[in-house]
Amino acid sequence: MSRMDDLLNTAPCGFLSFADDGKIIMVNATLLHSLGYEPGELQGHHLETILPTASRIFYQTHFFPLLKLHGRVEEVYLSLRTKNGTDVPVLVNAVCRAREGVVVNDCVLVQMRQRNQYEDEILRAKRAAEEATLAKDEFLAVVSHELRTPLTAILGWARMLKTGTLDESVAARALDTIERNAESQSQLIEDLLDFSRIISGQIRLDVGRVELAPVAEAALDVVRPAADAKGIRLQAVLDPRAGPVSGDPERLQQVLWNLLSNAIKFTPKGGRVQIRLARVNSSVEVTVSDTGQGIGAEFLPYVFERFRQADHTTTRRHGGLGLGMAITKHLVELHGGTIRAESPGEGRGTTFILRLPVMIVHNAEHLSAVVTEQHPLAGEVRAQPAEWARLDGVHVLIVDDERDARDLLITILAQSGAGVTAVATVADALEELRIKKPDLLMSDIEMPDEDGYSLIRRVRALEDRQSRSIPAIALTAHARASDRLRALSAGYQLHMPKPVEPAELVMAIANLTNRGQGP
Amino acid sequence: MTRNILFRNNVKVFGKGTQPLMFAHGFGCDQNMWRLVTPAFEQDYRIILFDYVGSGKSDLQAYSAERYGDLNGYARDVLDICAELELTRVVFVGHSVSGVVGMLASIREPERFDRLILIGPSPCYINDPPAYVGGFERADIEGLLDVMEKNYIGWANFLAPVVMKNQERPELTRELEESFCSTDPRIARRFAEATFFSDNRSDVPRVTIPSLIMQCSEDAIAPLGVGDYLQCHLPQSTLRVMKATGHCPHMSHPDETIQIIKEYLTAARAG
Repeated sequence: MSRMDDLLNTAPCGFLSFADDGKIIMVNATLLHSLGYEPGELQGHHLETILPTASRIFYQTHFFPLLKLHGRVEEVYLSLRTKNGTDVPVLVNAVCRAREGVVVNDCVLVQMRQRNQYEDEILRAKRAAEEATLAKDEFLAVVSHELRTPLTAILGWARMLKTGTLDESVAARALDTIERNAESQSQLIEDLLDFSRIISGQIRLDVGRVELAPVAEAALDVVRPAADAKGIRLQAVLDPRAGPVSGDPERLQQVLWNLLSNAIKFTPKGGRVQIRLARVNSSVEVTVSDTGQGIGAEFLPYVFERFRQADHTTTRRHGGLGLGMAITKHLVELHGGTIRAESPGEGRGTTFILRLPVMIVHNAEHLSAVVTEQHPLAGEVRAQPAEWARLDGVHVLIVDDERDARDLLITILAQSGAGVTAVATVADALEELRIKKPDLLMSDIEMPDEDGYSLIRRVRALEDRQSRSIPAIALTAHARASDRLRALSAGYQLHMPKPVEPAELVMAIANLTNRGQGP
Repeated sequence: MTRNILFRNNVKVFGKGTQPLMFAHGFGCDQNMWRLVTPAFEQDYRIILFDYVGSGKSDLQAYSAERYGDLNGYARDVLDICAELELTRVVFVGHSVSGVVGMLASIREPERFDRLILIGPSPCYINDPPAYVGGFERADIEGLLDVMEKNYIGWANFLAPVVMKNQERPELTRELEESFCSTDPRIARRFAEATFFSDNRSDVPRVTIPSLIMQCSEDAIAPLGVGDYLQCHLPQSTLRVMKATGHCPHMSHPDETIQIIKEYLTAARAG
């Protein structure tokens, strides 16, 4: 064997010559080896022996015509089939030349396993990017439409009002319409912001112990006007002993609100929407079912996908961004829960089933451990009791109908050195106020017979000046701005949404009783 | 309009004869593929060469994914050119997918055509068991689309359509000339889908123009069974199985290709 032949055979790349009719003239040892053939085994066979089907078509329709037209091809990707049937990706350069009066095509082939994987990834990324761009374009069109719809009503009625020609009843209706549309637009914007937080992974939960029944009640309150307007019956079956979950009450209320308003949206006039809350094994299960149009089996898997609604005609009929369910699912999963949709078919209603892990309830002596325990999902580091403000000498009156809540507050305040009296009713609170003259009143809002609003109004109307002007904090699961406003206007100095951050609560009491530590 | 269609399809007309001999390229190629064959006919025919919109040096601005999502769109290119040049008695030579394109054009306007010469044609590339063997499964064609995508990835126009007549950048023009004949990956993909996913078997019996089927003896794209199928179902057809192997006999075996076409046309004239 000549030195040149030796070089060609052992070169770190494949070499192959073939005639115009596709017959293989020679193959070097490197290529034979990588394809698993013995020396001489491929010679005289057709090139197609080592080409899988897709590459064979490409060879016939692209590679060969190009080689004939230009006398060479460069950097063509093909797969070669090995003797045992696996495929090897290669990059091929070829030239066509006359040798001893015969036309011969010489190819150099370089394996590109890793590069091929890399290119696959690039193509996948490109396709995903194209799809995402398309989805975002469509989404943008929907967003523009949805933002413009309420705006049309707002602008139209505002202009009518400006003319000053509307009679009183029409003007009142105009203002109602403007308000309603502005609220709906504000909700759209909230959804958009939430969605953008989800995309950027910036949703944070303020996690604490949450009883879902009052959260569900609060969500029902919000959607009741919409249900009433459509004549939809709202039914609630809420087991108050379902048990607490660990979560962010505001976000959980958002989840329930989303499910309820979605159900109302897709239920025709005169229908029924039901929410049930119950303990199922170690979970708290909330089901929201409706008598609405239902969901076709083919769309069920996509209910929770972003930008997806059953179809565009539905989108148009019902409005909305198609984000609510995606946000809902994300929030539920952040809480360690699951959510799924069931529907017996179109026209036969839908049921959403939400499950959240029940929170393990600790005994009173462990409560401080519970409240300072960091939830795995909560980002912030919580202050430890030693770092809390001191409340020595401060006497606090706690009013809460729930025993667990009272115990928790007692424990927190006792840790800070405060004296604590805790009662369960408004009547008892007024009695203790008269007898013990505490320094601060802290009351729950929702209580069975008489609520926290009533309590503070009665306190502020007391004869005794000291009792009448007692600093007061409202503690409530109602976290909306309107709830805060209502609590403050009823007479509380401060409104703190549950669950409270212990250090914050202690500091608030210190401030209201002038025990705040100066610098 | 005249200039538009001739420009759109990069139409070339030459030769000393009067009867039009129109050559139509296949998928993946352009009119250049005929250059070893056309000189043999220049003396006796008026030769028409063209590129389908989306291929070769056609006007990419004229491309419409809708029109060319179906082989009928390509047949309209053929008929547009015939109308523009006022052609009749056309001998249409179509390679590969252009075989079906020629059949479709002749069904629409039979008065324009004299003979169809079909090189490596197939009315349906996908197997339809048990009766029909096209040679491929859908997965094979999906694989082809992948190979195409990989091969088109490196070209300059991967991200943006390229204007073909690029005077300021001659190196780009040269690169394009030497690259695959359809230079836009999206167009090439759509042409591949229109070609390999089409099923024109029901059109075959509707052809009224006499035809010659040139079948290579070993063709990975159009197996022998497909030639037999066509001969059975294509009225007034003649099947010639060539010594040539592969799918492009006019490039690999131009002499045999020329000889068979000439024999057929001579016989046709005598008949």
